[in-house]
Amino acid sequence: MRLPQRSFILAALTALAMGVFPGVSGAGELDDVLADARTSTYSASRLVVSLWGGQTQVSRQFVEHADDMEIVRTDSSWSMTGYGKAVSMGDEPSGIAFLSHQPNVLASRYTVVERGAVRHMSRPGRVVDIMEGDVLRASLLIDKRSGALLIQDLFSSDGSLYRRTTLTDFRAYRTYQAPMDPTEVSAEIVMPEHAYLLPVNVAGYARAGTFAAPGGSEHGYYTDGLFRFSLFILDGNTVVTGLEEPMAFVVESGVYQMVPTAQAVRIHWSNGSNTFVLVGDLPPDHLANVLNELPSPATPNIIARWLKRFFG
Amino acid sequence: MAGLNGSNERLTMLLSSYLDGGLSHSELDEVVSSLEHDEDVVAQFRELKEVRSALRALPMLDLPLFLVPGEHPIEQLSAYLDGELITEELPILSTHLDTCVECRRELAELDRARTAVRALPGVEPPSFLDLHRPKVEDQKRSKRAVIAAMAGVAAVTVAFVVAPFSSSQEPTAVSISDLQARHAAVSSVPSSGTAVQISNAP
Repeated sequence: MRLPQRSFILAALTALAMGVFPGVSGAGELDDVLADARTSTYSASRLVVSLWGGQTQVSRQFVEHADDMEIVRTDSSWSMTGYGKAVSMGDEPSGIAFLSHQPNVLASRYTVVERGAVRHMSRPGRVVDIMEGDVLRASLLIDKRSGALLIQDLFSSDGSLYRRTTLTDFRAYRTYQAPMDPTEVSAEIVMPEHAYLLPVNVAGYARAGTFAAPGGSEHGYYTDGLFRFSLFILDGNTVVTGLEEPMAFVVESGVYQMVPTAQAVRIHWSNGSNTFVLVGDLPPDHLANVLNELPSPATPNIIARWLKRFFG
Repeated sequence: MAGLNGSNERLTMLLSSYLDGGLSHSELDEVVSSLEHDEDVVAQFRELKEVRSALRALPMLDLPLFLVPGEHPIEQLSAYLDGELITEELPILSTHLDTCVECRRELAELDRARTAVRALPGVEPPSFLDLHRPKVEDQKRSKRAVIAAMAGVAAVTVAFVVAPFSSSQEPTAVSISDLQARHAAVSSVPSSGTAVQISNAP
């Protein structure tokens, strides 16, 4: 092929690509969007509505967000999360701190598509869609000035909306003093620890840290750059409390106990030798893929079922 | 510029104080108004925040505590004399000793003290005690043998009779809210400068 012809074809392909995919960008752009949102400064009311297994979970909180740190107030207590620390002030003040830095996991499987400028709550904003291949994963309405995510819609692979987060009473760059000095709460400091049981990669999620967890168990933190979950592998003899009235979550690999909240899903199962707990904000189809790659729940044999029937 | 009149230094100072939470009410109103209406101020604010987060994301130095300026490896000196320092620690301590007169003096004193202790005469028991020693030793030995045999019998009894009727281990209780708090905390750990690109899902 002669050079002028080749140049012409290249130019035509480039023009076609630009016309077909306006405003498409990759992992770096998503990283920028998320970093801006993380470090934005505002106070607002946050309404989260989630739909899991046919049940709706709703949460409304007053949040103050500043520079990677968030304070959530309720009538009787407040909690603060940021810089690897979670402090909760209520009947039982508690704190936990992770001191290590995690690698910056770039979300290579997502692309960001600009959908244009909008006005929301009389403020200039823009809408971006986050695509995983052809699947719309998230649609974000971003406040232009502060970078805060005013509306976040998250979708499952079948196109159904499973979580919407909305900020109302939004005040950019306005936060208030923390109600109490969090240093007054004694915190458990968690150190990174070598993991023996936790996989390095699960269904497109990378392990970004491994830590010691209660009862000598292992805690792995996983992310795909957009969604995140923690996997706890506990001793088989461990009893997990606070999972009253769980729902059944059925996937190819078995039946799991699920307790959804508005902001996260909590999954519990046992394979006989270990007890597993997964806590995270991943979409239902991602969750199914992750569970299918982890050890399956043990099916109780006929004697165990018979004993359970008679003795509970 | 809408709200912040005056020099660029003043703007930087106000934005910096804003990030530190050190503004007065009137200054805060001024900064918020400027951030809401002036894109240049927003751009400068973001730049300032990026610098701060870059500083925070710098990898923490993994230096041993005794190498921090002003610190002396007093606890390491004893291990140094005993030849118990690990491979990585030895050259670090040697380098420190090359430059620190105080630690060299401390090491010399420690060495002198040890030599003095070693030089103390040993205390020999009186000769009449030697006559009884074998007998006492024999009695002790036979007592130990009886105790060991009894312990063995007890262990076998426990293994065969008691164990099948008891659970192997007390169950540990873990609260789901504790695990969720751990997830929330670790999710907020700042990212380091190291970038990890993960592959597409299969």
